[in-house]
Amino acid sequence: MPVRVAWGIQHPMSGHLTLYLDVDGDVVLNTEPDVGYTHRGLEKIAEYRTYLQYVPIIERACDFDSSNFALGYVRAVEALMGVEAPERAKYLRVIAAELSRIMSHLYAQALLSMTGGFETMTVWSANDRELILDLLEMLTGARVTHTYIVPGGVRWDLPKGFKERAFEVLNYLERRIWDYYKMLFQNRTFQDRTMGVGVLSKKEAVELGVTGPSLRASGVDFDVRRDDPYEAYDKLDFDVIVEKDGDSYTRALVRFYEIAQSIRIIKQALKDIPEGPIRVKVPPTLPKGEVYTRVETGRGELGIYLVGAGTNKPYRLKISAPSFRNLAGLVYLCRDVPMGDIPVIYYSFDILLLDVDR
Amino acid sequence: MIKLPIPTIPKELVRFLIPPLDQLVKGLLSPEIMELLIKVLVFPGFAFIMLYAMIAVWGERKLHARVHLRIGPYHVGPIFGLFQLIADGIKLLGKEIITPENAHKVLYHLAPILIMTLSMVVLAFIPFFPVDGGYWVIYYTPYNLLVILALFSLRPFIMIMAGWASNNKYCTMGAMRAAYQLLAYEVPLMLSMASVVILAGSFDLAKIVESQVGMWYIAPCFLGFIVFFVAMMAEICRRPLDIITAEQEIVFGPWTEYTGMEYGLIMMSEYVDVAIASFLVTMLFLGGWHGPGLHPLAWLLIKMGVVSAFFFIGRSTWPRLRIDQLLDAGWRKLVPLALVQVFASMLMVYLLKVVF
Amino acid sequence: MNVDKVVEEVKARLADVLLEAKVERKNYAHIKVKPEGLVRAAQLLKECGYSHPASVTGVDYPDRGEIEVIYHVESIEDKAIVALRTAVSRDNPSLPTLRDVWMGVHYHERETWEMLGVKFEGHPELKRFLLQEDWEEGVYPLRKEFKLKPES
Repeated sequence: MPVRVAWGIQHPMSGHLTLYLDVDGDVVLNTEPDVGYTHRGLEKIAEYRTYLQYVPIIERACDFDSSNFALGYVRAVEALMGVEAPERAKYLRVIAAELSRIMSHLYAQALLSMTGGFETMTVWSANDRELILDLLEMLTGARVTHTYIVPGGVRWDLPKGFKERAFEVLNYLERRIWDYYKMLFQNRTFQDRTMGVGVLSKKEAVELGVTGPSLRASGVDFDVRRDDPYEAYDKLDFDVIVEKDGDSYTRALVRFYEIAQSIRIIKQALKDIPEGPIRVKVPPTLPKGEVYTRVETGRGELGIYLVGAGTNKPYRLKISAPSFRNLAGLVYLCRDVPMGDIPVIYYSFDILLLDVDR
Repeated sequence: MIKLPIPTIPKELVRFLIPPLDQLVKGLLSPEIMELLIKVLVFPGFAFIMLYAMIAVWGERKLHARVHLRIGPYHVGPIFGLFQLIADGIKLLGKEIITPENAHKVLYHLAPILIMTLSMVVLAFIPFFPVDGGYWVIYYTPYNLLVILALFSLRPFIMIMAGWASNNKYCTMGAMRAAYQLLAYEVPLMLSMASVVILAGSFDLAKIVESQVGMWYIAPCFLGFIVFFVAMMAEICRRPLDIITAEQEIVFGPWTEYTGMEYGLIMMSEYVDVAIASFLVTMLFLGGWHGPGLHPLAWLLIKMGVVSAFFFIGRSTWPRLRIDQLLDAGWRKLVPLALVQVFASMLMVYLLKVVF
Repeated sequence: MNVDKVVEEVKARLADVLLEAKVERKNYAHIKVKPEGLVRAAQLLKECGYSHPASVTGVDYPDRGEIEVIYHVESIEDKAIVALRTAVSRDNPSLPTLRDVWMGVHYHERETWEMLGVKFEGHPELKRFLLQEDWEEGVYPLRKEFKLKPES
């Protein structure tokens, strides 16, 4: 007889959502998500703030990957105005975005290992994330929400000593992540817990609108950085990780390999960065018109649809967040699974409720 | 000065009461009662459990922390945090004991007391080391291994009682899983114990240890040792097999609703269980109190400490198994291995009898 | 199928409901249809290989008296985006649901209903999603008449 359990909001492991599970014995028959606990109405606020005042606000749409979200919005503003940032600013934006991506992937790995009760990997990942946060603080002045990327360029230039310190940290991290591979991905119990759990086939993943590492883990070769290149990504050399299996283990593995690729990108960007100005002037009002841009954040593809009306405030801003799209995948998969699989599937999609609710 | 009327006992009553009181005190100070009091209060009783729990809490958290590249308890006590248990205990004593609404009051409060009592009662039957004339044990019976097994099979009932009485869906589900897990792992436990009993020829732990003088049973019964260690880990619910107390990821299973000192009792009972498991592993497979040079008690404690350390390290090295994977491992993988070991033991006994 | 060919297909096969179809810039086209032809247009786009839904946006234009709903869909092979747009009147906005064409628009449509009041016929679960349960009926936050009160 099915019992309705609230895998709920007051739960050590549920994040900011409630999943109402219909449980029969140990098997979950279907789920119903209840989101909206962190709804702040960011899209409505956009109509009341100037486009420059909105940059810190869009970063709060997702705390752990803030530079990529800011980059999406700023690119939309610049596309609408017809302004292009200078070359040096493009490389600096790439550095900030990739550091932010490493930060997000390490945090996702920490949370996924916590679901198995594997606190060792949680603490190791959080430990190494601190090094990246210190680098970001050196570059932008803040650890988590940077407010570094603004329409027209970036706010500060590279500080003295940043290149040497960054190379030290990145070299250390490149060696260290193989320890993670041995401890987590080759750990028999973790494999038992995540392999074959939550398998998403290629066709289902595309039709559900799943994006990001979850899409690439199901065999779909699509990455906005390579296919619709922006900033300096067309001049940098990196691989897009695609795997075939589509289960939770593969999704975690794709994120793990992307950390190595991000380190490669940052090293190239630091070597090839040209001299020049870092910011240009932008007009004070948004012209009439509309634009849709997309960027690749750590969790997936972010789409920003911006309508301008001739004033300095946007007329309509729509944030199509990656976690919102992946939520459909989560609900689709959580049917007829044992109850112990629910947190594993949830965290393998890397859904952060802040950008579902906005 | 006001003279207050002090009540005095009339002299005749005192003279009437002295002989029975004298008998009582003489009886209390007799050697048997004194020995029983030392056994119950010092070793293996109250003082030993407190001391073991203190060192085990400190040791486990330090080991766990070192694997995590952190430091662990640091401030409370002489060797960087040794008295952490005392600090935690004082904090738990100060918290309010909350009874959930609609919980069955008697059963709800009885469950943690029972689980702690059950863990401690097992210690009453284990013979620890030989003293002249017998063994250092609170109550000696030649079937003490069977009694310990019987007491272990009472554990799922208390967990079900706690889960049901808490009036919470998570607790009930956790209690059901506890019943499944503990039942499933009793079979390999009994079978691996049986393989040692066949070799030793007796259900008495003391005789089992005595017969390991030449060779410890870990050598002929290595498979049984592995099965016993894993089955013990499941019976006392240590990570990586602790899905019931850390289920739905860390809502604590059938013990979710307990606060204050009841929570403290449950935590203590987990450490007492580790002590019992280490004692059993040492006595069945690692030669008990045998060893050159030192007093048998010292060897027993050293071996038991090493086994406890292995239980603690298992916590940081593996994630948890899901409940169906756990039951699968218990029924389909451990039981056949244990059966193989039992047949191997029987074969060894037969060959020894026939050849020698 | 890349965006130029899509625009040609659409002009050929949806001539009766088409209002506007053009390629805005590289790999981005927009197609405006009447509400009656929405499902046909969506099915045509899916045949052309555009099966990855990206977002559903509703924009409120009180001066024109209409709410415009835009479906952005992407194609994985051609790396292109097509924006399928339609406009409904503000007084009784109602559109057929495109959930049977693309599974992924389920939650997007639910949010558009909640924020703007556009009813999607045939959607199985049009109820509160992001706002709290005791929000008043009939008040749609993203419409222009809903004013945010400034704090303090």
